[in-house]
Amino acid sequence: MHVTNRSSSDHGISWFVLLIGVALGLGLGLLYSWEIDPVVELNTEPWQLGAQAREDYVIAIALSYAHNQDVTRAFNRLLEISPDRDVWDTVAEVACERHKRVQVTTNSDVLVMRSLEQLYRPQGASGCADGQYPTPAPVNIVPVTPTITQTPTLPPPLTKTATPPIPTTAPTVIVNPTNTPPPSGSYVLGRIDPFCNADKSGVIEVEVYNRNAEGVPGMPITVTWSGDQQDTFFTGLKPDQGVGYADFEMVPDRSYTVTIPGLISTPPPLDASVCDEAEGDGGEAVLTSYRVSFQQQIN
Amino acid sequence: MKQFLGSLLVGVLVGLAVGLFIGWEQYPVEYTNSSLEALDPYYKQQYTIMVAEGYQVDHDINTALNRLQVLGEDNLFEYVRDLTQQFISQSNVPAIPPMVALAEALGIDLGPVMDIYRVTPVPSPTPAVSQ
Repeated sequence: MHVTNRSSSDHGISWFVLLIGVALGLGLGLLYSWEIDPVVELNTEPWQLGAQAREDYVIAIALSYAHNQDVTRAFNRLLEISPDRDVWDTVAEVACERHKRVQVTTNSDVLVMRSLEQLYRPQGASGCADGQYPTPAPVNIVPVTPTITQTPTLPPPLTKTATPPIPTTAPTVIVNPTNTPPPSGSYVLGRIDPFCNADKSGVIEVEVYNRNAEGVPGMPITVTWSGDQQDTFFTGLKPDQGVGYADFEMVPDRSYTVTIPGLISTPPPLDASVCDEAEGDGGEAVLTSYRVSFQQQIN
Repeated sequence: MKQFLGSLLVGVLVGLAVGLFIGWEQYPVEYTNSSLEALDPYYKQQYTIMVAEGYQVDHDINTALNRLQVLGEDNLFEYVRDLTQQFISQSNVPAIPPMVALAEALGIDLGPVMDIYRVTPVPSPTPAVSQ
């Protein structure tokens, strides 16, 4: 019985075997070039770094920025590590990850966290490490000048004096009102909690605390909107809510910024947007409200 | 049999050539989870400068050494010394003071050239003695 090999041609080449050979060669070639002798990993660029190395690199950038305060250089360096996303968000994420994962105990660790925050916060980024490692306010040490205490002298002996005439009308003492100086010190933005409540539609509730976590009365709160419009009100005018409390009612579709004197962090804008989770009694739209707290820095 | 082996050999050679071309040229292995050890020398230098500047901020030499450790250099002291000398010879002015400070903290003596770039501490004001 004569068997014909259909895969063979008459030209001396078996195409079927050739194809098998190509597949075999291709497999061997890829095995060698990808596994056995791959392109040597040299000249890696920052964007190719793994998570830990990336964190190390971002920390180095932040510390460098803390030293030279050159935000352009820091931006360019961050761009090399995150070419396809917001570089400040990258820094905020690194700070957040570090805040959650690393036990911040040493001075260096704290300085790293502060350096990271000082880099991303002024650029408008935010993360879970915001305000967690506030920079202490500078302490001014005033040298005490010794004063010469005067030698006490004996009081003069009592003498008889004539009784003064009794005035017919009591002299009027005019007391001029004086301004109470606002509480001093550096403050950081503690937290901003948006909430929906039909009874409190579009209200900014501000609370200011001193370094002992007590409310601070008489603190002027400035709310700015539409660029140049602003209003100032004070804490402590609603004592039933707490001495450090003040509130402000927003108008829909505006964006507000809340600041206080001595605030060293940049507050984000608060939008008077319609809240999805609640609806008023009459079915009217309820605006998002915010609880904003400021904390005096601990020296 | 001869025809079979010839075809197979030609096929393997062609496939091997194509495979190597793809693996080395067209789609080489691209690392995206690299360590700082594999960084391009330029970025390694940049990283070292940043660590040196960080040392100026926290003055913690152990932390600075730990940060440099990840570069995988065999001898960190020699690495810092050579890099500092390189920056001095290149007149890389912004990088020299922090690198000199780092080298000095590591006990590296660069010779008299170090004195030129040494960061002189600003004397703290002393309160005047009142009479």
